[in-house]
Amino acid sequence: MFKDELIHELKEIQERYEQEVRQVLSKIPEAEQEHMTFSGIPVKLLYSPRDLAGIDFLEDISFPGQFPYTRGVFPAGYLTRGLHIRQVTGLGTAEETNARWKFLLSQGANALSVVPDDGSGHRADSDDKRVRGLVGKGGVALDTLYDYETLFDGIDMLKYPVHLITTNAFALACYLAIAETRAIDFKELRGSMSNWMRPEIECLDILEYCARNVPLFNGGYLDMRNVREGGCTVVQEIGFGVAVAMAGCDALIERGLDIDDFLHRITWFVNSGPEFFEEVAKFRAMRKTWARIFRERYGAKDPKSLMCRMHCQTYAPTLTLQQPFNNLIRSTIYAMAAVLGGVQSLHVNSFDEAFAIPTEFSASLSVRTQQIIDLETGITNVIDPLGGAFYVEWLTSKLEAEAIKLIDTVQSKGGGFKAWDWMCSEIRKAAVKNQKEFDNGIKKLVGVNTLVEDHDTQLRALNVLKEYADFDALYEYSSDVADKQIRRLNKVRRERDTEKLDRAKKELRTILAAEQNMIPPLVEAVKCGLTRGEFAQIKSEVYNLPGEGPYVCSPPFVLA
Amino acid sequence: MELRIRLLLSRDDWYHQRGYWVLASALRDAGIEVVLGGIQTPEEIVQTAIQEDVDIIGYRIMDAAPKILIPILFDTMKAEEIANMPVVVGGIIPQADEVVIKEIGVKAVFHPFNTLEMIVERIKTIVLESRRQRDRSERSISD
Repeated sequence: MFKDELIHELKEIQERYEQEVRQVLSKIPEAEQEHMTFSGIPVKLLYSPRDLAGIDFLEDISFPGQFPYTRGVFPAGYLTRGLHIRQVTGLGTAEETNARWKFLLSQGANALSVVPDDGSGHRADSDDKRVRGLVGKGGVALDTLYDYETLFDGIDMLKYPVHLITTNAFALACYLAIAETRAIDFKELRGSMSNWMRPEIECLDILEYCARNVPLFNGGYLDMRNVREGGCTVVQEIGFGVAVAMAGCDALIERGLDIDDFLHRITWFVNSGPEFFEEVAKFRAMRKTWARIFRERYGAKDPKSLMCRMHCQTYAPTLTLQQPFNNLIRSTIYAMAAVLGGVQSLHVNSFDEAFAIPTEFSASLSVRTQQIIDLETGITNVIDPLGGAFYVEWLTSKLEAEAIKLIDTVQSKGGGFKAWDWMCSEIRKAAVKNQKEFDNGIKKLVGVNTLVEDHDTQLRALNVLKEYADFDALYEYSSDVADKQIRRLNKVRRERDTEKLDRAKKELRTILAAEQNMIPPLVEAVKCGLTRGEFAQIKSEVYNLPGEGPYVCSPPFVLA
Repeated sequence: MELRIRLLLSRDDWYHQRGYWVLASALRDAGIEVVLGGIQTPEEIVQTAIQEDVDIIGYRIMDAAPKILIPILFDTMKAEEIANMPVVVGGIIPQADEVVIKEIGVKAVFHPFNTLEMIVERIKTIVLESRRQRDRSERSISD
């Protein structure tokens, strides 16, 4: 990036400067001269052009919307495609979540997402004994198409792209069935789902079906955000994500698809955590790594295939019950890194998310955080404003190099699907290391291992709010939700045409057994009133899953 | 004498298992034998606890409602005659729920950022205490 003469000229001046710094610091024995980032990358006190010696502006950084997309995938950044404010939503029954969606839209959110209460692997109906205590708790209870219809009531599916936070083809089938009822052309239907790349027929069926029939729907997903929540490093977030995507691509190419048919419909779910610059550099490195790997190793030609697009949710493991309003400040800083890093879509965690499901009150603060960043700070007016900073460019290159090394290691172990267990154990190792660093106070967390308050004023303030506010200041789960949901489910079961349902079930079984794409018969079956538990049961029987009953989701790698 | 402890570690559901694995690793490092139960219903937890002859049950509850699961767990333990086996819970446990489940009999509730060292020590103390009680009651029966 800089002429050799300058680098050469700088050598002596910089060495003099460093000598001076050493002298200054030698008088402060407790000052540490070398720091580690949150992910364990050693960083120096200062970066200069000398650290960018191997970096070429056009090849490595270039312009937004141009290969390798380090500075962003769109030429005009947020000016042509504003930030999607998309808060994770899923609580109680479909009515409650529908109401929350409408509330969020009224507050200025411009994209939606829904987390069903089966997002965590339970795919049983709400009256199944295995989901006691879970119904409408960590997400919304969605047993049948009827629930999905209630959820989407009054929601313009063409205006607001919805993200389904589940791997379950059942959810996609309901989404498509509703679109069909509304006479929406599948070619115009947008949306996405958390269909993590994994070695499972269901995953590949979704991707294949969408690639062929719902071309604007993002059917593939790299859920590295939750892997970060599981404790991995930023290098693993990039490297394992790309490696898993590669394995998924291999499987789809084997099904006869061309890389450019589907690659642009695989999107990322990423994290943004405490180490500010590491995160900014990570988003940049992620785009670069993605573009390079898929152009060089897979021959992808369509520029859209090479554009790594991301939805980001801010980091949660550092949110605390102690001094809970500090979480607003943390999440704001994490969100700023995400916007400076150029993500397309964002969820900012609510301050109470460490210990409760967000209320309207706390969720609206998350929306406001994004609006303040977007409207008041000027950050979105300049594309990649931190590009060119010596530290950011050095770190971007460093993360890319480390990620590519890691991808090659995964490839040498058989690729993203075969190396699953190895990746999990690596992530767990990173998580243990991270926890010990907090336990030992090497990593600081205000209110927890430093600046602890005996009489937590913020917690007391929250309790006062809870007691006296004329709105819900803290969410509390009631088991009435389950009773209500079970009544709804039984009503659907009573009223559906069992003969029609049996025929649809039979057809679904036949298609599953023949290993043909399961989506078309599934759409028909949900229209006949098939429940999620019945779908899971059919899959278990056809695939002969050992004694698992309705737990049919394979151990997802994201859970590390 | 080295305190030999067998602990069953189970959880309510799938997502966000970080604490589960980190804790499993810390307990093993501290010499505690950990039986990984994975995702289990309260009934399954009790069955595994009996089959594996553990000293203590560790139950990670994050997404589920503790106020629903813990009563089922304790009722089943009673029915299966292991009512005295200590139970500790960790995860996201609302303050109001903590009070309720402790009244039901949960010995300790661990939260994010309780240090691993503290959790390990607490578990050892609880097991030691429960053994003393058992020995006392056995002595009083033989008396």
